[in-house]
Amino acid sequence: MKLYEFQGKALFREAGIPVPGGAVVTAADRTGLFAPSVVKAQVLSGGRGKAGGVLLADTPEEAAKAADTILSMELKGERVQALLVEEKATIRAEYYLAVTFDGEERTPLFMASAAGGMDIETVAERTPEKILKLPVDPLWGLADYKIRAMADFLGYGDRREFAEFVRKMWKLFREKDAVLVEINPLVATDNGLMALDAKIELDDDAGPRQKALFETMSAERRRITGSAAEADTGTITYVPLDGAVGFISDGAGTGMLTLDLIRDFGGEAADFCEMGGLTSPQVMYDAMKAVFTDKPDIKSLLIVLIGGFNRMDEMAEGIVRYLEENPVSVPLVVRLCGTMEEEGKAIMKEAGLPVYDDLRTAVTDAVRFAAGGD
Amino acid sequence: MAVLVDGNTRVIVQGITGKSGILQTRTLLEYGTRVVAGVTPGKGGTVVEGVPVYDSVADAMKETSPNAAISFVPPMFAKDAAYEAMEAGIGLLVLTMEGIPKHDVLDVLSYARGRGVRVLGPGTAGVISPGKCKLGAHPARMFREGKVGVVSKSGALSYEVGKTLTDAGIGQSTVVALGGGPIWGTNQREIVELFNGDPETEIVVVLGEIGGGTEIAAAEYIGEQVRKPVVSLIVGRAAPEGKSLGHAGAIIRGNKGTAASKMEALERAGAHLATSPAQVVEIIRKLG
Repeated sequence: MKLYEFQGKALFREAGIPVPGGAVVTAADRTGLFAPSVVKAQVLSGGRGKAGGVLLADTPEEAAKAADTILSMELKGERVQALLVEEKATIRAEYYLAVTFDGEERTPLFMASAAGGMDIETVAERTPEKILKLPVDPLWGLADYKIRAMADFLGYGDRREFAEFVRKMWKLFREKDAVLVEINPLVATDNGLMALDAKIELDDDAGPRQKALFETMSAERRRITGSAAEADTGTITYVPLDGAVGFISDGAGTGMLTLDLIRDFGGEAADFCEMGGLTSPQVMYDAMKAVFTDKPDIKSLLIVLIGGFNRMDEMAEGIVRYLEENPVSVPLVVRLCGTMEEEGKAIMKEAGLPVYDDLRTAVTDAVRFAAGGD
Repeated sequence: MAVLVDGNTRVIVQGITGKSGILQTRTLLEYGTRVVAGVTPGKGGTVVEGVPVYDSVADAMKETSPNAAISFVPPMFAKDAAYEAMEAGIGLLVLTMEGIPKHDVLDVLSYARGRGVRVLGPGTAGVISPGKCKLGAHPARMFREGKVGVVSKSGALSYEVGKTLTDAGIGQSTVVALGGGPIWGTNQREIVELFNGDPETEIVVVLGEIGGGTEIAAAEYIGEQVRKPVVSLIVGRAAPEGKSLGHAGAIIRGNKGTAASKMEALERAGAHLATSPAQVVEIIRKLG
């Protein structure tokens, strides 16, 4: 779950990480507006500064005008529903500091750069030497010498203050089950370090043990932005595409393979719909519903199943029940094999539905049917 | 020989009394895998599919001397179970579950690194050395004993390629699934290293997908160290940019993580490129 800046700042404040004083303002409640201030759009996408979503206001009139301007904006397709209005800070130096994880190296990772305020991906691409990447062993913890290395790399003189700051960040990252805590920019002021921005992403898989945190964040999001949290789609991944061949798989790898083969054989997929490798009849049913709801005009539906943990009897059950309740007129091509294959094929046969064994033949037919062949 | 698992592998099933645990234990036993014990706290003394169940891995260790574990323990308890297995001396741990909190996975992998334990997964279909041992979900009849070593991120893709090879009469030494990420206990490069040193593996098949850079790291190793023929299939050539396709890590960002960039690196390393499982078979046939 990605958090808005104002939510991240609240967690920072709670963790003892210095942030500017400020207030959340919405179109309905503008009582928090003040000046001089910095007026900032609250959106989940990046690059808002460049897009004009951050304005300075010296007077109350300017603050009101800035609020009007930003509240009418749409940034990368996201309507601005809320603002964070903050005190201006006197900036002596700007840094980038983040902690996340590197899944390929299997480790949490700090990233520090003196090129603060910039788009860090651009910095990484053009001048990778300007970013210090420090893996941290989660069981050993954040060692002092690593903190010193970061402070020295950034050229920040007060090592003790820096260490205290970084330790709070690390603690927050671990205790809140965050997958990203990013401060860009982290600034040096006359009164020490301060987080001018806050980008936090929580681990959805940790939801069950961070119940209170997730509930608070979702409720706040609904109250302030009026937008609901992302719908929980379970294990189904659904991506709409432009072609005529509707398509469902029970594995990401075979899903991507099938997507490639559809194109290689001259067709275009209408969607990418993958159910995950351990699934149920209901998920099969829901996947078909997702495709037919979003793409009612598909010309054929290709279902590619290869069961390991997945049971083919259960998949067949889901398919048959969907078709009983929602008769469809497009040709259906089902490739089904693997765990409980015989049982699955028997269920399909009883329902009068053909089953394929070979993937290439199945894709060829699905593409041919979509093109109007028989 | 084979890699990771063979006829000497003695397995405990963690979470053996759950729905997946029971069903999978049955298929492992049917295959001939030596499942010596199961562990579920509080269920010690019971029996599942003829396998004795213990309260703790330590108890199972004393009486049955396992050397590998497969875990079906629910995500929130997976870390504890993994620590328990590793501390008891298990050297190979297969984490099948998806949805384990990321910090727990990072902790488990840190602990594994310290103890020299090999972890497959999380979210993996596991490993099969056909004719010797199956420690995962690979459907038995899609595999047969032979000389081709296969490593894949995706479980389903490893079945698909295994099935195509087996239907064509080409057997496998070991077939390994690594999981869809975004954190991997073991990566392609490490398995290719094992295949490279395995006398029973004559040809290596690397199955990869869009996103991240582990295939590129494997390609670097292949270019430098591997003299056995390598065949590679990278899926997601037709994938749209910026969308995760089922695996958290399977995403193209700008020109990064594309199938083309990986295919290029593998080709430069001397690998033969296939664009479908059928083509993997054709290439292997030509290699003789």
